[in-house]
Amino acid sequence: MLDLFGWVSVGLAGATGLFVAVLVARRIWLMRDERSRAESEERLRPFALALLDGEPAPALSTRDAEVFASIVARYSAHIRGEAEREIGRFFEESGAVESSLAALRDRRAWRRAEAAYALGDMASTQAIPPLLRALSDSSRDVRGAAARSLGRLGADAAVEPLVRALAHEEVPRSVAGQALLELGDATLPALRVLATDEDAGLRETAVELLGILGSPADEPILVQRLRDSSAEVRARATRALGRLAAAKSADAVRTALEDRIPFVRAAAARAIGEIGDRGSAGALLELAEDGSHDAAQAAARALARVDARILQEADRRRSGPHVAEFADRVAAGL
Amino acid sequence: MSEHEPLVLVADDDEDIQSLVAFRLERAGYRVVTASDGELALSLALEQSPDLAVLDVMMPRLDGYEVTRRLRQHEATKSMPVILLTARAQEADVERGFEAGADDYIRKPFSPQELRARVQAILGRR
Repeated sequence: MLDLFGWVSVGLAGATGLFVAVLVARRIWLMRDERSRAESEERLRPFALALLDGEPAPALSTRDAEVFASIVARYSAHIRGEAEREIGRFFEESGAVESSLAALRDRRAWRRAEAAYALGDMASTQAIPPLLRALSDSSRDVRGAAARSLGRLGADAAVEPLVRALAHEEVPRSVAGQALLELGDATLPALRVLATDEDAGLRETAVELLGILGSPADEPILVQRLRDSSAEVRARATRALGRLAAAKSADAVRTALEDRIPFVRAAAARAIGEIGDRGSAGALLELAEDGSHDAAQAAARALARVDARILQEADRRRSGPHVAEFADRVAAGL
Repeated sequence: MSEHEPLVLVADDDEDIQSLVAFRLERAGYRVVTASDGELALSLALEQSPDLAVLDVMMPRLDGYEVTRRLRQHEATKSMPVILLTARAQEADVERGFEAGADDYIRKPFSPQELRARVQAILGRR
């Protein structure tokens, strides 16, 4: 006869066996589901591609309709033009846009976030105004999903709110940055205006983005920001000019080597290095003796890029350790 | 499809983009051969001498620039037109593509109609 301990052991062994069986069954079910989905995708892909070409969507079972919609949504990330409008029409006519817009008003934040995310793949311009409002949602997840979707939808009207959201850290920096990158050249008119906004945070962000998305045509705006009252804006303006390799603005960047704030001087030295302005070699050599470690090191590093000969010929004792360090690096071919 | 229709090589590691480009070009009457990495694209190009190649810039094994550069080194493919598909359209990237020997570039996301028109324009010139 089994005692109490024996019965407990048998019970535990049974429960463990049952648990393992459930796990195995679930794994098998998931694998079959995955395989079946892959087969459905293969079968439905030509119909999705035909839809982008203006053909009507086929009549499908509920399960196939779901797979079909996910394929079409994926294509929305890669295309523009008439094919994108076909995707928008498909999701509007299928009712998916309307139900996602309704979910965007749900009291549960996770549902609003899910809806905001899904709308970005539906290529429907109807979603733009509600998504712009969702940028002010109380949930950070919803704001982030809305920012991502506005970038996907190429919503020009979203540029200013996105820059504000980025500057005030209302959405994750990477999400807002990616959305603005997706908007590309459409961001430039708003960025040029925001670069002179009274809010220093907005100016900082706008100036930084002009360095990434802008062109040589933006050099005058950035040069003007080298005299901004905010040191952070001045530093970002020098970085932006460096990124644009703005050779015509080298003289203006050189003046920033004498900025009273050390991190602006350091940023200016790095920018001169990127521009490759040999005319700044003397000023860089002088800055390499600066009391600020970062500024002095940035100057010596930049000098190694723009005029290594001056660096190697400099009086090591007088010019300090940074010049000596980079002169050695140049000599060693590093 | 007739053997006389122009043959286009489409190389992209993203299956969605590859199928999208191939579908659109097949509908326009071209024969299409596909590759999902740069090495395969190069070997298919050398083997089949297509009339034009549409190459993604960022591909595994060999990127689009390198495939273009190598195509220019072979007699059979040195004058084959190449269109680069690029996610980046910074001036330096475009310049790099042209330096490698590309004839045109298209920025992603792209309009399939525009892609077809560019292919037709290049092949029509030949």
